Amino acid sequence: MKLLKASRRDSLLRDLRRVLPPDRVRVAPLERSIMGRDASIFEGGQAGPVCFPISTEEVQGCVDAARRHGRAVVPRGAGTGLAGGAVPLEEPVVVVTTKMNRLLSVDADQAVAWVQPGMINLDLSRALAPYGLHFAPDPSSQQVCSLGGNVGTNAGGPHCLALGVTSAHVLAVEVVLMSGEAVVLGDPDGCAPGLDLRGAYVGSEGMLGITTAIAVRLTPNPPAVQTLLLAFDSVDEAAQTVSAVIADGIVPAAIEMMDKNIIWAVENFVGAGFPLDAAAVVIVEVDGLPGGVAAEADRVAELALERGGRVRRAADDHERALIWKGRKSAFGAIAQIKPNYYLHDTVVPRTRLAEVMSRVYEIVEEHDLQVMNVFHAGDGNLHPLLLYDRREPGTLERVHAAGSAIIEASLAVGGVLSGEHGIGIEKRDFMPLMFSEADLDAQARLRRAFDPDEMANPGKVLPTGASCADVNTLGKIPEGVWG
Amino acid sequence: MNAKASLGIDPEELASCVACGLCLPHCPTFRVTGEEWASPRGRISAMRQIQDQGAAIDQAFLSSMDSCVQCRGCEPACPSGVPFGSMMEATQAALARERRIDWRRWGFRVLGYRRLLNLLSRVLAVVQRLRLVPSKRLGLPKIPLRQDRLRASGDDVWLFTGCVMDAWQRSTHAAVKRVVESAGVGVALPGSGAACCGALSLHAGLEDHARALAARTMGALAGSAPILVDSSGCGAVLKEYGMLVGTAEAEEFSERVMDVHEWLATRLDMLPPAGEQDQEATVAVHDPCHLRHVQRAHQSVAEVLARYATAVALDDDGLCCGAGGAYAAMQPELAASIRERKLEAIGRSGADIVASANPGCTIHLANAGVTVLHPLEIVDEMLGEILDQAADDDR
Repeated sequence: MKLLKASRRDSLLRDLRRVLPPDRVRVAPLERSIMGRDASIFEGGQAGPVCFPISTEEVQGCVDAARRHGRAVVPRGAGTGLAGGAVPLEEPVVVVTTKMNRLLSVDADQAVAWVQPGMINLDLSRALAPYGLHFAPDPSSQQVCSLGGNVGTNAGGPHCLALGVTSAHVLAVEVVLMSGEAVVLGDPDGCAPGLDLRGAYVGSEGMLGITTAIAVRLTPNPPAVQTLLLAFDSVDEAAQTVSAVIADGIVPAAIEMMDKNIIWAVENFVGAGFPLDAAAVVIVEVDGLPGGVAAEADRVAELALERGGRVRRAADDHERALIWKGRKSAFGAIAQIKPNYYLHDTVVPRTRLAEVMSRVYEIVEEHDLQVMNVFHAGDGNLHPLLLYDRREPGTLERVHAAGSAIIEASLAVGGVLSGEHGIGIEKRDFMPLMFSEADLDAQARLRRAFDPDEMANPGKVLPTGASCADVNTLGKIPEGVWG
Repeated sequence: MNAKASLGIDPEELASCVACGLCLPHCPTFRVTGEEWASPRGRISAMRQIQDQGAAIDQAFLSSMDSCVQCRGCEPACPSGVPFGSMMEATQAALARERRIDWRRWGFRVLGYRRLLNLLSRVLAVVQRLRLVPSKRLGLPKIPLRQDRLRASGDDVWLFTGCVMDAWQRSTHAAVKRVVESAGVGVALPGSGAACCGALSLHAGLEDHARALAARTMGALAGSAPILVDSSGCGAVLKEYGMLVGTAEAEEFSERVMDVHEWLATRLDMLPPAGEQDQEATVAVHDPCHLRHVQRAHQSVAEVLARYATAVALDDDGLCCGAGGAYAAMQPELAASIRERKLEAIGRSGADIVASANPGCTIHLANAGVTVLHPLEIVDEMLGEILDQAADDDR
């Protein structure tokens, strides 16, 4: 039996190596096990052959070979996903797009660029600097995450408050379907007829196909920017200031909040002058024409002062960059305190922010855990990080219990399960809390319209039994995946 | 091999990576391959498989470790401060104990014997001139047939001269010495006692050899005078003797060590002023990894250079050039792909001359046809012109 399985694997390998040179199909146990995880909590995924194609045709070849051998396919970019979307289950063929990292074309007049999926988000904006343009979605991981991954999770970022998340900046995608066919969804001119299949595809977490090229909408760099660092003695005052700014009719480019422990950890790393005595800081960035920027910045400062805040304005680009570096390093700085974290991503109505925040602190205390909050306050997208050390027995159970309670508390006030990180494996089993059976069935049918045999990234997003046909064989998350 | 704890990495260090991936773009081998096992996160994951999960050390593990340049660009990029360099050194030491390192690395033992090294260098220089060795492919510079002896000029500061740099690039030491002297300071030389700092041995996992070299070096650079270093790879390890040797004496020694630019940057007013022809030359400043990521003193090079030339920073976030001590010779293909990115950044800078404060980088970049000088060679040349100018004016 074991021999039979091995020989089947070898013929798959042979077929993959007909498509790609041997050094771009990796099968050594260590090489596969390293691919067993991304930046999420999961550590025990099992990858099959790991492929590094460099063209659409090669991706098609990998998909064809996998299909002939009845093997699922999991696409992977830089592996910075936070919900386990790229974690392979049951030895699928893993298609890594990092070597497809070129900027294919730029049309500065139309503000459109075609890019390959493995291009790093920040590399794109840097390459666009001579045109005075950038790609607006800026996830905290933007210096490393791939644009294909951004499309997969419909990624957000601090500057998505005013400009919208990835879907608003993707005009078209070239996709290799599980049939092996390459199709273009959407239109780079922004006038695709018929149903918006591009819209269905962005955020589908690799379950509809593999992205092989993306037409992105480019955003002009703002003529003026001001960044304010507001410090508060309580999280409540900080949350109220956020609500007040929004209620005042200002739509800042970004509003981000960090609480005490995370301020300490990031300040320790960047030395940006974050106030260590504050219970919370709020970073507000306003941009646009110089006159408007100055007026809005003054108004934000006024609203903060009225609520007991202290106000610091970034004096120059260097200070501004340091403040953002601090904000964007937050998750990675956690190991200064604990080696592991479980991160949630719920979104709550902005008017209920203060209330949900205090509930989060209560829940964490009830479960005897530590929490850090760093999040997109402007759109109510929470990121509570539950800290733990997986080597301490029994902690993971408490972490899970607290996580469920946070999700329930968020949904209870009319919130949603995930703002931008995706569902992946991690939030999969919470989907029924949010969606009815009919909702889930509709999603499963949409997925099967693209991928009838459910070979693209199986076991993610949709819980078992989500579909009436129930062909999902990956009912339970395999042993060991939760680490 | 004993399966558990076989790599001897501190378990707390090994646990301290949250796998966020922010190090990936700062890793030269990930940048050119896009492959996880050639990234710091992937390498830590591999170390965990061996040490925590008892996996066997196989070829895939060895390639993942040996492909690391040990530039430590991942360290300043890590928000949690994961000490990757120390984990990699522990791993290399474990591999050396198991005799699983590249056999060529045992050759580093020669570096501790100055006369032998000089003799071999002389032979190599002759063989090179007979065109019997493919120098560029081996990552070698043009080795001089003869070198002038350096002579001490006082005892205010030590100038550490090292091994390969002294054997192959002594003229750089001479220029550095003249610049330091122009600040009105007498320079002492350690002689053959401080034959080698031990960096190459340490990075190859030959810890005992590195410690033995450290002990000799500390003995040869006695007293309390500052120890100036003009090779950033050597400077980085001399500053880490405290950790390597683990004694109070070593800690004190390390505190005396300064990169020569770091020392000069706080004494700029002691150097002669720039002449009329100042800042005509545009120089791209290449930040050697061990100056930028380990010593974190790279700003001082631009500060010193800016007094005499227009110094331009490269726009690649200090990504490694691929030289990595002996790396360019051990992993020529990866080293060359990494260098390609650096050459592109140099091209974008528009400068004709590149300044590099590390001999390895200088050799590696020069082999690709770039004009590379030590920053103080440029300053030395400017000072020479300024002094000539002053002499002319007097006449």
